Amino acid sequence: MKIRVSIMGRSYHMTDGLHEFIELDDPATLEEAVQRINQLMPEGQTLTGSCLVLLGGTHFGSLDNHDPISLSDGDELTLIAPVAGG
Amino acid sequence: MGAGVLSEEGQLRLKGASAFVSRTGGMGGPASLMLTMAGVGRVILAHGGDLISPDLNRQVLGSERGLETPRATQFADYLRSMNRFVTVEAIDHEPNDAEAMELAARSDIVLSCAPTFEERLRLNRVAAAARIPFIDAAQWGMMGTLMVLRAGSTACLQCVYPTQPPFEELFPVVGAISSAVGSLAALEAIKVLSGCGRVAWGQLLTLDGFQAQTAFVPLRRDPQCRCCSTMFNDVEFNDMEECV
Ligand SMILES: [Zn+2]
Repeated sequence: MKIRVSIMGRSYHMTDGLHEFIELDDPATLEEAVQRINQLMPEGQTLTGSCLVLLGGTHFGSLDNHDPISLSDGDELTLIAPVAGG
Repeated sequence: MGAGVLSEEGQLRLKGASAFVSRTGGMGGPASLMLTMAGVGRVILAHGGDLISPDLNRQVLGSERGLETPRATQFADYLRSMNRFVTVEAIDHEPNDAEAMELAARSDIVLSCAPTFEERLRLNRVAAAARIPFIDAAQWGMMGTLMVLRAGSTACLQCVYPTQPPFEELFPVVGAISSAVGSLAALEAIKVLSGCGRVAWGQLLTLDGFQAQTAFVPLRRDPQCRCCSTMFNDVEFNDMEECV
């Protein structure tokens, strides 16, 4: 299945070259999607656990603090890396 | 401010209000300027250190003339020059827990514009303890975020970041986005303090200037939150849900 992924927030430039859609087995969990995204990121870079997780525009918590999330074909996953610049 | 924007009552409420802005950088600078120009009665600025040259790409309150001199005091002077009816207080350092608590206790709102999550979470805690609204304005490069929170009726910042995100000493700043986010933080504060307009309670605004996208996202409260779940009981949450 395919889900649409959008990554924003801190260090957004590192994910600028990633494809808008990623392929996953059906069904898939959020963790599997994140593992796939981390493989596509530049070497040595991974998403931080405090990234906010939005699915279809709904906030589900952060990567390190959320209820189980299963993904379906066509889902829109947004990950927002925490921003604190003053 | 003009008829049709704020009622006379709303403007009087602004005049009687106090806003605590911690730090006066790329967002706290424009936020405090807009609060001062709108006529918020007391604006309290907190910022340690001197104004330095690399900061000038986003300092709307500073200029070449003020380099290597303390930031908070010169910015406060500038704000006083913009509106003689506003009392401006300058705190020339980052407030610790006790001082932040004291400042929040005599303010009606906290604007969090700090470079570290440690300070942002501290400001969130003191705003929650003082039962006052909390606005978090942040940016990175061409991207900005704004959260308008009121612990007890919405998520608090600790609900959003249960684990303190890592500190980043150096980060890119495009002054156009920090200034936009700071101004929007002031706008939300003006609505809260005046009672005019619909406040974006409990929402995260993302302003992604790089991708040319914006969104409002309702933020989920964490029932296990170390900050707000221990300060407010369920009755208070239910009673205040209408604010959201
Ligand atoms: Zn909370």
